[in-house]
Amino acid sequence: MNGSPQAGPAFERRLGRLLTAVTYVAVGLLAIGVVLMLLAGISPLAVGPPFDPAQLVPDLRALEPAGFLWLGLLAVIATPLSRVVGAAIGFVKRGEPLMAAISVAILVVIGISILAALGTR
Amino acid sequence: MIEALWLLAGGAAAGGFGSLLGLGGGVLLVPLLTLVFGLDLRAAVGVSLVSVIVTSSAAAGVYLERNIANLRLGMTLELFTACGALVGGLVAFLIDERLLTFLFSGLLVYVAITMLRAREPAPDDGAQLRPDLDVPDDHHVEPLAAGDLVSFRSAALARLSGEAYAVRNLGRGIVGSTGAGVVSALLGIGGGIIKVPLMHVGMGVPLRVATATSNLMIGVTAAASAVIYLLRGEIDPYTAGTVAIGVFVGASVGSRVAHRIELRFLNLLFVAVLLWTALQMLLKAVG
Repeated sequence: MNGSPQAGPAFERRLGRLLTAVTYVAVGLLAIGVVLMLLAGISPLAVGPPFDPAQLVPDLRALEPAGFLWLGLLAVIATPLSRVVGAAIGFVKRGEPLMAAISVAILVVIGISILAALGTR
Repeated sequence: MIEALWLLAGGAAAGGFGSLLGLGGGVLLVPLLTLVFGLDLRAAVGVSLVSVIVTSSAAAGVYLERNIANLRLGMTLELFTACGALVGGLVAFLIDERLLTFLFSGLLVYVAITMLRAREPAPDDGAQLRPDLDVPDDHHVEPLAAGDLVSFRSAALARLSGEAYAVRNLGRGIVGSTGAGVVSALLGIGGGIIKVPLMHVGMGVPLRVATATSNLMIGVTAAASAVIYLLRGEIDPYTAGTVAIGVFVGASVGSRVAHRIELRFLNLLFVAVLLWTALQMLLKAVG
């Protein structure tokens, strides 16, 4: 179309499958967390434990609902980012530097969001 | 247990109605969580952002697999929606919650008016899981002869165009997308209500493609501000997890039964609900 290699439908199908798969993993983790929360008799309107990365693995090992819920929430937020990472890799492989740069720039903006949130807490 | 069921049901209702009417859960969820469940607005916005990511990602996966979304256009614009969301996510913590509530009531009135004028489901905000339910309105498609592409002023526009349409006004798209990102982060909505008309009317993208591409963009837009809400402690895992599951289930069911339901009456009913909710939010804003 314009002389540069174009990612074909197969590339987009792969990205779509990746997005769908990660979404279902995230929803699955949240569902496990909600079930554990209900079994533990915790109200969803109760104040949950704050996000603490160091507590994630111990909570998961102990089958604490908060561990699965936090991991699920992180997976939810990571879902669209996984698509961006996949797209960046695909664009690099297909020789589309501009789109690859845009993909990286999106990730940089997300990174700035994280730093800004940490810096203003 | 009862609270969990109510919250799941509320999320499912928001997701289901949103899916039936082509809206995301955010427009319904935030008032539901604030007016019915007593959450403060920022907490409700945080929960809504998570739910919006879940439903839009599920829908966007399908749109990509079916090659309906314009990946390059979506990624180009989402760079700017993410910038807007970054700004909006930070500004949301600086402005008074009453002002946010007032802004949200204004958004509800805008959505209601848009739905009344369109007389059809409003642009998708992330909840529609079946893209084939989004009836294409191709009368705005600009057919191109093969040689027309070379006449584009910018190779970038040609790169972003589809096989059967030419993208135009990229500058307008960038400005509008940035604004949509700000609104999304402030009010916890996907922003499809802004992005779809922007791409369709402002940039010459066919409605079906604009809807699919908007869905693609919503995830990154919401993620850019959701991390801010999460790291600042405004997302509660118990509430967010429960509501997200409800919204996901509701949106899935809604998209499967939409073709069996008379949407015109539902549309009018929904407009009335939106206006009533806008009034309640306004009353809450003025104390």
